[in-house]
Amino acid sequence: MGHLLQYILNGLARGSIYSLIALGLVVIYRGTGHLNFAQGEMALFATFGAWWINDHGFPLWISILLAALGAFVGGGLIEYSLIRPAAKKSPFAVVVITIGLFQAFNSLSGLLFKGAATGLPFGTLFPDAPSDFFRLPGGVIWRYENIGVLVTVVIITVLLFVLFQKTKIGLAMRMVANNADSAKLAGVPTNKVLMLSWALSAAIGTIGGCLVAGINANVSLGTMFGVFLLASAAATLGGLDSPIGAVVGGLSLGVVESLVTNYPNDWWGSTYIGADTAIAVAFVIILVVLLVKPSGLFGSTRVERV
Amino acid sequence: MTPERAPLLEVRDLVAGYGAVQVLTGLDITVAEGEVAVMLGANGAGKTTTMRAISGMINRKGTITFRGEALTRRAPDEIVRMGIAQVPQGRGTFTDLTVEENLRAGAYVRKGSGIEADLEEWFGVFPRLRERRSQKAGGLSGGEQQMLAIARALMSRPKLLLCDEPSLGLAPIITQELFDVLKRLNTEQGLSILIVEQNANLALRIAHSVFVLETGSIVASGTAQEISNNDAVRTAYLGY
Ligand SMILES: Nc1ncnc2c1ncn2[C@@H]1O[C@H](COP(=O)(O)OP(=O)(O)O)[C@@H](O)[C@H]1O
Ligand SMILES: [Mg+2]
Repeated sequence: MGHLLQYILNGLARGSIYSLIALGLVVIYRGTGHLNFAQGEMALFATFGAWWINDHGFPLWISILLAALGAFVGGGLIEYSLIRPAAKKSPFAVVVITIGLFQAFNSLSGLLFKGAATGLPFGTLFPDAPSDFFRLPGGVIWRYENIGVLVTVVIITVLLFVLFQKTKIGLAMRMVANNADSAKLAGVPTNKVLMLSWALSAAIGTIGGCLVAGINANVSLGTMFGVFLLASAAATLGGLDSPIGAVVGGLSLGVVESLVTNYPNDWWGSTYIGADTAIAVAFVIILVVLLVKPSGLFGSTRVERV
Repeated sequence: MTPERAPLLEVRDLVAGYGAVQVLTGLDITVAEGEVAVMLGANGAGKTTTMRAISGMINRKGTITFRGEALTRRAPDEIVRMGIAQVPQGRGTFTDLTVEENLRAGAYVRKGSGIEADLEEWFGVFPRLRERRSQKAGGLSGGEQQMLAIARALMSRPKLLLCDEPSLGLAPIITQELFDVLKRLNTEQGLSILIVEQNANLALRIAHSVFVLETGSIVASGTAQEISNNDAVRTAYLGY
């Protein structure tokens, strides 16, 4: 049984990252009903940005904060200059734009950052020497870095909760999410709220990207593909418009992935079951959940159109 | 019911619609300070379009003047700040928010002081809402949601309340209660109200002035008395 706990703890770390990217998706989806397919690649670009700042001699945590700040501004600008005009045309136009952005940010990263294709070394905010772990009963170890990543996600989730539930801006965001027409009639400048959603989402994504890069000790053009796939699965599982659903969805998929990749290896001593199988299993789980509960685990029942 | 009150809202030559479809083709209405005005009209006549045009929710042409200020070019949030609040057709409740949050949402354009006192005031007027203040608004009955929608609109401290078919889908007894509340708000607080209604008999009972809308423009207007005596209107809207 020692293995089980070990795999769960490992899974929670990756799951934390899925949660963050999923949170970013949810923050946008709630306000606009749009799925931002570029969420992962926007985060990737910002992560390269953090690498670049760090490479210029700034401490890593400052680099990450600056990159998140830049992403905040950039996310808002993207909403204002691309998404908003497209949304006036049709929802499909928005899908096309976000897919275009997906491609654009990946290519731009490759152009701007030499060595991006093969990967650049990325530091971590948390102690990650081989001996940096807690020893738990049964020979299970819990690495400080994994704890750090999980705690970061918990902190961001709590901050988001406070923002949504306790502040006027948060109330405005919930109003727009629930009934945009009524929010407008109540005097909420809904455009600014949507811009803020994109800004916030991009900033959260940046933290997620930098955490993945930290765990991998490396950031490359391919870093976010799989992460985004599982994160969007996590957001769907959680209900698309529920922040808590995104976190629960992300953590559970992280754990599922860890179990599915590790146990078969233990049992059959083979390594042919890898990440792809994990993704397949994740999608089967989602299919089953959505069949039973079309609005996802925590989604409001309005979200049934996906 | 003196007709000599100062005009609060003046709408002249209002043209509005959706994309290429023109719904309002030059509409004129005037709501005086402190009065209850009612707009009658069949389904699809353009009543909701008129309300949305006044609130700035759709593109419109013509002149709309409120307390002497033009608002045709203003955005919905500015119009709320100027003192016009709308209860949309179908109530527009924030179903995922609690009753109390709905009311705070209504106070979005206001700052700090007075909001708590107003909450208490409307909980006093609508005791059912106080009982359910922490419940999600989506769980309320239709009548309760309509009361909530009105209280929410009032939280912005409007001078003019626009109510779009408040009786829609409500039992007659609830509708009666609702109109009693609207009447009280008018007489006790001096609130000016523009109500869109299909239930003409009920609306005429609390109305000072009445407008009859047919396919995009006003075809008859006058005091409640005059309109009740107008034979054409009687047959079309009052059914006797
Ligand atoms: N969003 C819309 N897009 C296109 N046409 C609309 C829209 N809303 C209403 N209409 C049309 O405008 C006309 C007036 O509608 P409306 O103002 O809702 O009427 P009423 O409130 O008097 O029943 C109707 O013919 C309706 O079909
Ligand atoms: Mg209508």
